[in-house]
Amino acid sequence: MIPLIPTPDTIPTHWGYFQFFLLLTFPLHLLFMNALLGSSVIAIYMHLKGSTQSQGLAYELAKVIPLLIALTVNLGVAPFLFLQVLYGHFIYSSSVLMGMYWLMIIPVLLTAYYAAYLYDFKFSTLGRYGVVTLCCAFWGFLYIGFMLSNNMTLMLHPETWETYLKNSRGTFLNTADVTLWPRYLHFMVGGTAVGGLFVSLYGRWIRRSDRLLGDYASAVGMKLFLGLTIVQIAVGLWFLLALPQAQRMLFMGGNNLATICFVVALLLLATLLVTAFKKKVYASTTVLFGLVCTMVLMRDFVRGGYLQEHFTLEMLKVAPEYSPLILFLVTLVVGLALVAWMVRAALTRCSD
Amino acid sequence: MNYPVWYLPETGGGLLIALIAITHVFVSHFAVGGGLYLVLTERKGLRENNPDILAFTKRHAKFFMLLTMVYGGITGVGIWFIISLVQPAATSLLIHTFVYGWAAEWVWFLVEITALLVYYYTFGRMDNRTHQAVGWIYFISAWLSLFLINGIIDFMLTPGAWVNNHNFWSGFFNPSFWPALFFRTFLSFMLAGLYAFVTCAFLKEQGFKAKMTRYSGQWALGSLALMLPCGYWYFSILPEPARALVAGGSPTIRAAGEYALYALIATLILLLLLTVIRPAYNNKTVAILALVPAFLLMGAFEWTREAARRPFVLNQVMYSNGVTLAQAKELQGESFLARAKWATVHEARDENLTEAGAEIFKFQCYACHTIGGLNNDILPKTATMDFPALHGYLLNVIHKRPYMPPFLGNEQEAMALAAYIAGELHGKSVDPALLVAPSGQGQQLYEQNCVGCHGLDIIQEWAAGQTLAEIVAGLESLSALNDMMENFSGTTAEKELLAGFFRSLAQPQSAVDMGRSVFEQNCTGCHGSDVIIAWAEGKSVSAIAESLLTLGKLNPMMAGLSLHDDERLAIATWVLSGRKGEEL
Repeated sequence: MIPLIPTPDTIPTHWGYFQFFLLLTFPLHLLFMNALLGSSVIAIYMHLKGSTQSQGLAYELAKVIPLLIALTVNLGVAPFLFLQVLYGHFIYSSSVLMGMYWLMIIPVLLTAYYAAYLYDFKFSTLGRYGVVTLCCAFWGFLYIGFMLSNNMTLMLHPETWETYLKNSRGTFLNTADVTLWPRYLHFMVGGTAVGGLFVSLYGRWIRRSDRLLGDYASAVGMKLFLGLTIVQIAVGLWFLLALPQAQRMLFMGGNNLATICFVVALLLLATLLVTAFKKKVYASTTVLFGLVCTMVLMRDFVRGGYLQEHFTLEMLKVAPEYSPLILFLVTLVVGLALVAWMVRAALTRCSD
Repeated sequence: MNYPVWYLPETGGGLLIALIAITHVFVSHFAVGGGLYLVLTERKGLRENNPDILAFTKRHAKFFMLLTMVYGGITGVGIWFIISLVQPAATSLLIHTFVYGWAAEWVWFLVEITALLVYYYTFGRMDNRTHQAVGWIYFISAWLSLFLINGIIDFMLTPGAWVNNHNFWSGFFNPSFWPALFFRTFLSFMLAGLYAFVTCAFLKEQGFKAKMTRYSGQWALGSLALMLPCGYWYFSILPEPARALVAGGSPTIRAAGEYALYALIATLILLLLLTVIRPAYNNKTVAILALVPAFLLMGAFEWTREAARRPFVLNQVMYSNGVTLAQAKELQGESFLARAKWATVHEARDENLTEAGAEIFKFQCYACHTIGGLNNDILPKTATMDFPALHGYLLNVIHKRPYMPPFLGNEQEAMALAAYIAGELHGKSVDPALLVAPSGQGQQLYEQNCVGCHGLDIIQEWAAGQTLAEIVAGLESLSALNDMMENFSGTTAEKELLAGFFRSLAQPQSAVDMGRSVFEQNCTGCHGSDVIIAWAEGKSVSAIAESLLTLGKLNPMMAGLSLHDDERLAIATWVLSGRKGEEL
């Protein structure tokens, strides 16, 4: 047992509830984050390409990027909350170790967010500076992703935390971890690929008002999706091989559920390649959703494997209090109903 | 103690929290009140069938979205980031206790952003009834976010029955919940009116600009009128000692209160000017200027709320330095470093005194004190104390500074912290021998009866200038010095032995030296010598000595200061010597 690991606080309900909410909300965050990455990459490329049609697509994406940021951030809040409930004593410690970089996420995100709005609202007047603005936002997204990968791996390595005893200024990064780069690339490359699929899907929406542009968006998005998914397979393999043997073996018979997840993920991936190759946007989206959820489960097995010798969720003490859970569930149902009603109203009750 | 400390001694975590939090609340309250302003202004436009008002509302919605959703939303996450970096133990406790409250707040945040995006992007394209409904959903969800966060924030100041029953609802609907909710609600409405001046300032047609400025000003004035009694209500339910601190007991809160008063007057003047006297004066500069006093008011309020719970970060639960009250009780006289998981050393010894002291500073003092930074700099606050004085001060901090956590640790660790501050930070000599007394029966009595609270330096100061009989008399009436002390109940012989020991410690001192010592012991925690010189300006020795009897009138927190006649005279003599140009 590493003496630095803090003592966790008690939790109000069985850990399974938090685990469920964590695994439920995290894929949603990932999907919006992916859409954001892919939209940004395609918008930058379209902007640089410079044709009327590509500029048109860049503008359509400019309109949607700030919305994606808003939803990515919001849907990141929920899993981060549940993560802190279950693994707070790990994540707070690792955050302090990299405090300087971690806190910088906030100004970087603010800058990226405003840059995205600037790109949208001043699209026609920014001219060639538009692409600089969007690149600035995109750089911000890459920074944030890198820091998240850092923190999520640093929290799994309490054996490295002793570095704090030499440096407590919050300038430590987990770069010595061999899984950091493949993990980061796995998120960024895979995310951008999925973002391509989002653009393809968005193209179907654009098609209702501009058929040519919509088809163009769908084609460009699907091309990016297919191309990067193949790269992603290589990155994923690198990531798998970089994992310590104990964690890798979880997926190869070491743990039955983890192995099933891995097999299901491979099957879904194969299906996805077929649907993507056939340019079936809706089918690909459906399969992809399942694949992302499965990979989130696999990620959780890896986390559990890393922490096993220090901590398991069963070790959390429960001071039972279930009535606040009811408050949350009722709020969630009412909130989701309101969101659904408003989105439906926006899509159906508007004149163009 | 449980978590690492992100250590930036020249900056301080508190300043980082303040920078993010105060700008966030200034925008996030607008996000609530502004929602109501938008939906009611849109309704006004619809009822008056006035396209100018509708165009104004749409323009304001854009400004509103760019400010509240981007800056407000991201700095909200920013507060979460910074508090978990600076106060991980408190953040963890808040997250674990109120997780489903936070989760519900996240749902309203989702509804809020969806509503705002739909509201803005469909403005003028959606049927009016539905669009108004979306506006109302926005406002209600934003207010519900405030409702939820308000409960958790106020829990930090007034945890109420939660301290004993640990029940979610007791903590949430805590004693200051309702007054704070109403206060913040009206504050948010006032800010909505003030922020609207900015959009008004961009209107080109003068008549319409004046009309909307007056309309917005009426909003702010009406809300201000409702906010003030709620503010008083909020203040009146505060329990002691928070109420005494806010009432002027804390010098820093008093300063914040003065800022708040000036800011309030300035806000009122600007509002009257732009609403009643001449709305046409509104322009971009005036609109921004109108926000400045409101920002100061908000900052002073939030700062006061945070400071009123001192020495706790979670009132009656956890001290500012992350040590819980329960842990502090266990620690009494025990080693702090042995329990500090993230300290580099786990025992203070003679050979590592400074290093151990630095660690204790990091884990006990840094939560509030910087080293050379803007916020609560430790250097000027300890500049006048030498090693023995600091050592004695630390052991008695619980009595002398009720708004500071007690020193936690054993005798050696107190020495280590004093050695670090006096030696390492101020370059003064650190000689533990100064703290060692001569042996004998008197010393034994001292060690049996006094050492738990008093270092020898304090005894030495107290005994200085007194005769043996006076010291004996003093020992018989210790409770008069401090309520926490009991009169010494030994035999006459023991009293004389103890008094003799104390007398042997006290070196003959000049009145000036004694005055300086008394000042260092009693006053330097809050006041530099410049403050007392300014205060004593124009007074005679006897007048100064007399005034020292009634310090409680100046500040209730000083009421407990009880000085011997000789001590008061010595301070007066010392101050006057300084006035004559001698170095203090």
